[in-house]
Amino acid sequence: HISYKFSCFLFIFFSTSNQNIIMLADYMKCCITISMNRLNLKHITNLEMIYHIENPDQGTWHACQLAEAQDDAVCVELTQFKEQFKAHLHGVIRHISIKMKKHEDEAIWIRIAWGDNFSKPNHLKPTYVVHHLHTSYVFISNLMAKHKIFLCQALVIATKHGSIKDGHLSTRSLTAMRDLLLRRYQQVFPNAHSRIPQERNTLSSHPCIGKEHSDHEEMRHQMSCEAFGQSPSPKLETAVYRLETRYRGNGNHTLSDREEFFRGVVRFSSSSLLDSLRHCVASGMAEGPVTPLLSAITQRGRNYFVITDKGPGVSSQASAQRP
Amino acid sequence: MALLTPYSKVPELNTATVLLVENEEELQSKLANALVRNENDFNVNVRLARKLPLPVENKETRPRIDLIVFIVNLLSERSLQSVESSLAHLHSDCFLGKVCFLVTDGRCVLRHVTLSVSQTADGVNAAAVRLLNILKVSAGMSPIATTALYLSSLTRCSVTSELEED
Repeated sequence: HISYKFSCFLFIFFSTSNQNIIMLADYMKCCITISMNRLNLKHITNLEMIYHIENPDQGTWHACQLAEAQDDAVCVELTQFKEQFKAHLHGVIRHISIKMKKHEDEAIWIRIAWGDNFSKPNHLKPTYVVHHLHTSYVFISNLMAKHKIFLCQALVIATKHGSIKDGHLSTRSLTAMRDLLLRRYQQVFPNAHSRIPQERNTLSSHPCIGKEHSDHEEMRHQMSCEAFGQSPSPKLETAVYRLETRYRGNGNHTLSDREEFFRGVVRFSSSSLLDSLRHCVASGMAEGPVTPLLSAITQRGRNYFVITDKGPGVSSQASAQRP
Repeated sequence: MALLTPYSKVPELNTATVLLVENEEELQSKLANALVRNENDFNVNVRLARKLPLPVENKETRPRIDLIVFIVNLLSERSLQSVESSLAHLHSDCFLGKVCFLVTDGRCVLRHVTLSVSQTADGVNAAAVRLLNILKVSAGMSPIATTALYLSSLTRCSVTSELEED
């Protein structure tokens, strides 16, 4: 019986997570012992969804941005959104399973198991979508290319926008993505007077120890926090720059005289990329001021950039100006 | 170009000041800590800098510097380049016994290295003790009648046996 196997797998899966899930898993265990017939797919998918909501930092999340809001986009309510979303998807795909939950922090979680006109929904590979109503960001995990068009249409209709486009931001951690795009981290704005305090290192607090370059140090610290936020910053892991430029080095004529592009990909990886970049600038390893190529990660909320020859900045491929 | 001169200021009573110059700012804070927390018969002040020239704003408040230590990290070429460019800002009189070079993270044994230190806690403490001895002489506080010039000829190479074990 497929649901029994699935539920046993999920039971083992769940029993290593937090207290709420353990309680629910116990409940499920009771269900199994009392009567196997009463346990059905609905309970299992519900539990799986709760698990994902409590542990959002798994898999790979991608950000999308809604654009061209219609006049009544701000009046969209939760029930209206739910109805329209479900109605559209049920209308275009015969077999589909959609579950929606509203979390306490105003996030709407949507779990979609896709089928098609002939086969039942596949609950082993569901797509998860997170949207905060009245923001223009949608976070998507585990979406196949063939279903993308349906999901995008449904989102655009349900939120009363004109279009949706790729946000060029992908992370493992949904929390980091949300914190970055919804600006839930400690930002620092340029100002002439107050300087943010550095973390007071206990090593250098002895009165006999004096620093010659403390002004420069503070200035570098300020500059780095303006570009990358104050710690703790959202835990991004990578930033990728795809180069479509011509080689401009000196000396190596075989490379610089070519007509075609010198293609390359520059990839920054770290367990916490923004913290690393901030430390590079604050400690003087990287010369200031911070290049806009790097500060664009926080200023524009992206971690994938295509750099072309047109100018020193980033490509304007998907550069919807952030509010 | 303002040069750092050795005798342009009046020394303070029973006080010696050492300037640690390091591009990476890694070892210098640990070393500074070890220097001031050591039991000394005289007051030790430590100034930390990344490179020379020192900022003009601090000129009035800065005490007389008795010893300048350049810290070079052998793993980084930039460290050595920074020290070389800083040397241009030193008055030539400083080289008569007021300048010392400290290398760290070195795996190979160098001939004329003045002081070599590993970044462990023991290494830092040992280096601090040696620096204090040199500082005592440079500041003129040594009870034995040595001057800094004689000291530099006496301590040709203090590569310790720990390094040779590597």
